[in-house]
Parts: sequence; structure tokens; C-alpha cells
Amino acid sequence: MGAEIGPSNIEAAFLLEALKKGTRVDGRGIYDYRTLKISCGPTYGLAEVQLGQTRVLARVSCEVTRPFPDRPTEGIVLFNTELSSMAGFGLDSSRSSTQEVAISRMVERVIKQSRAIDAEALCILAGEKVWTVRIDVHFLDHGGNLIDAASIAAIAALRHFRRPDVTVDGEEAIIHDVRERNPVPLSIHHTPICVTFGFFGSAGDMLVLDPTLLEEQVQVSSFTITLNSHREICALNKAGGIPLSPDQIQRCTQVALAKVDEVNEKIQLALKASTA
Amino acid sequence: MSRPDRREASQLRALNCSLGQLNRADGSAQFSAGNTSVVSGIYGPVEAKVYEEKLDRAVVEVKFRPDIGAPTTKDKWMESAIRNTFEREILAHLHPRTLVQIVVQLREGDGSVDSAAINATSLALVDAGIPLKCMVTAATCAVLSDDTTVVDPTQEEIDAARSTHTFAFASGSPTGPLYVDSRGEFTMDEYNHCYDLCALATERVLAFMRTAIEGKVTKEAKISAA
Repeated sequence: MGAEIGPSNIEAAFLLEALKKGTRVDGRGIYDYRTLKISCGPTYGLAEVQLGQTRVLARVSCEVTRPFPDRPTEGIVLFNTELSSMAGFGLDSSRSSTQEVAISRMVERVIKQSRAIDAEALCILAGEKVWTVRIDVHFLDHGGNLIDAASIAAIAALRHFRRPDVTVDGEEAIIHDVRERNPVPLSIHHTPICVTFGFFGSAGDMLVLDPTLLEEQVQVSSFTITLNSHREICALNKAGGIPLSPDQIQRCTQVALAKVDEVNEKIQLALKASTA
Repeated sequence: MSRPDRREASQLRALNCSLGQLNRADGSAQFSAGNTSVVSGIYGPVEAKVYEEKLDRAVVEVKFRPDIGAPTTKDKWMESAIRNTFEREILAHLHPRTLVQIVVQLREGDGSVDSAAINATSLALVDAGIPLKCMVTAATCAVLSDDTTVVDPTQEEIDAARSTHTFAFASGSPTGPLYVDSRGEFTMDEYNHCYDLCALATERVLAFMRTAIEGKVTKEAKISAA
């Protein structure tokens, strides 16, 4: 019980037949994203992303902690994603599935290991006090392509977040109340965004951008490329599935470049709308 | 006395809700009062695991997920509070050997979270079409240090309050509260006063929820007629 039931043979065959003719069952072109809606606020560090039927909520918070002894001048970035049963019945967090681990690891890697957040700027007193920034990603609705939605939500929430201002006087650090002094944004080096492709057919010769849940269930391979607005590649992920040719990866990179710019623009607009 | 957000003592924050936002869930609702915002999703009636099914009625399972961090004891307590409130109001005998799963996700907590969670769940159950005896609505009151009582307190007010009280009532039944949660030090008079204020407030919440449901049902009826 609770296990995901895949699509029927007829559904899968219809999807593939349509793809062969260059159309998708939801009417999109193969390189189209679903409608992307980003909303930030009302409080700092809250962002909700709606990507078609997928809905993800990201919440950023911070607290003062002691740094790791081997990195006394770096703040800590914690990442927490859980595929709760709200996103789909049977997607239980108590028995973390391989799918969930894959999604969490990917999004975490993209943000933490690409060093998107300036960890040294989170230091208050070296070896004594640093900020721990916590990113909680909640999946509310699973309509496919959770990775892209989660990465967009996390980045939007991080950029929207403000932490209390701090003044350091010798060994004393004063944390100013939000009402006393304007809170300050995090120092973010770059904004990595994931773009996911799904491959179909026995040779993986058909590809689509932003697969829906149905497409994810039928696809033979998937490929996630993470780029930032400086057109740099931050992460690539092709976990299993059938082998792909280098040409296909090249083609995906070109498409992803254009999409990342679009997404960044949308995040910018959402951030502007929340401060207006 | 003036409140930080310049509300009257018995004034609720701006209420907001939307029904059926989630596609995967059988029913869902988002309920917010000011900055406090909660999403509730319902799955059910679905097949229950063999070891947890009840032969004569549906099992109600609640999951409460906090906005920040992993669930703690406090959240487990909230789960049992929601389950106890709704277990008797759901007509569980109509769906024997099944499971009704309620997942409550806190989007943001700025005081009066438990009442917002109950209100959101009530709306979500209606949206999911789970047979209910009645609608359940809840409200929170706080007795401040200067002995004034305020309805729908923010977190700031709760932190400074002497006691807080949450009451949930069933619609159309004058038999008393379904759920009471009082914390802090208070007198019997204060408790009674809070009871009255919350009873009044839940009537307003109920009217608001009715309008929201009516709006959605009318819209759906128009679509299906067209």
C-alpha cells in the first residue's frame, strides 16, 4: 500500500506516440517550462514556488551558534528537505525513499557545495559565534520535477531572507533587534538553478524539459544541469538510466542556459514584488 | 490599552483562505490569520494498513509538520490535539477499515497556530468531501500582564502574556467546546471571559469559512453547468 502506481500501458504508449510527433500530453513544446509562479514573503525568507502542479515551500531561518572547530571563521549552512506525505499519499518521510534522498542530496549539493552562500560573511566572532543559516524545503504537492522547483524555492528564499544586524566591539557582539536596526541580506555569491530534462525512447533520442510526474514515470533517463546567472555550470547529475551521447548533453546545456536566465528574471520580479 | 498592530481587543487578524490548491491531495486548504499561515492536506478514505485498520470505522491519522526543523515533541502533541478534536466529528463509521490521513504543514507561525491548524483542517476536510457531523472552528485568547484579554494574539503578545487559551467549537451545537488548551496562570473568571470571547470569535471564523466554501461550490457548479 502507498506505493506509487505507475501509469497504465495505454497512457505510457500515448505519451510516447505524442512525443514522436513532437507534442507533449499537456500541450507544451518540448523545451517549455510549465507556468512558474514564485511568491516571497510576507516574512523574510519565505518563498513558495508553483511549477505547474508542483508546489514547494522554502523557509530560511538563522540562529547564533558555535562554529565547527576546524572551520572557526565560517558560518554553518544547514539544509533540510523532507518529502512529506502531503506531497503524495505514501511518500512517507519516516522511511526515506531513494527518490527522496536523491532529491535532497541534489538540492543540498547545488546550494552548499557550489558555495552559493558566503560562509565567512556569517562569522560574528571567530571561533566563538557564527550564524547558522537553516533552509527548510517543504514539498506540498508532487506534480513532477521536484528538483527544479526546490532549487528555485531555496534560492528565492535565500535572496529574500534578512538576518538581524550585528555590531562587534572587541570581544562583545551586539545582535540588533529587527525593529531597532534594519536587518541585512545574506551575502550570496551566485544563484545556481537546476534545469531537469527527461529522456524517452529506447535510445533516449527524445527529450523534454521539466518533466511532469507522468513523464517522470515513463522516462528512461533524466539529466539535471545546474547553472548560475554567470553562465557557469555548478553541478551535473545523471543518476543511472540509459546512456546518453555527449551531443545530447551539449544540446541540454544550450537549452538550460536560456531557461536559467528566464528563471532568474522571475525570481528578481518576485523579490521586487514582495518589497513593493 | 493598545495592541502592537492597533487591533481592538476582540478583533481577529485579517483572515484568508483558499481551498483545493493541492492537486495530489484529496482535499486541501490554506488558512491564514495575519502572518500565521497553515496548509492542511487530506488523503482519504484510503486503504489502511492491516495492523492499524479498525473493523467498524475509519482511522484518523494526523501529521503536523513545523515550518522550521524536524518535528519535535511539541509537534507530536499538536498532532494528538488535532486528531482528538476531529476523530469524533468525522463520521468514521461510514468508511470502515479505511484511513483518513490529515497532513498539516505550518507555513509560518506568528501566534495562535493551534487554532489556525484546526480551522485549516476543518476546511480541508470539507474540501475532501469527508462526511462530518459539523464544522469545527477554533480561536485563541491571551490574558496579558495588565489583565486585559485579547483575541487572536500574535507571537509577540503570547510571549508577554500571563496565560493563553484556545477553544474549538462544533458549529451549531451549544454543548460546549470540543477542544480546550489553557496555559499559564489564570483565575476562573478570566477563563470564563476567554471562553466567551473565543465562542464569539469562532462564530465569525465560521461565517468566514462558510463564505469561502460557498464561493468555491458556486464556482464549481457554474463550471459543471457550462
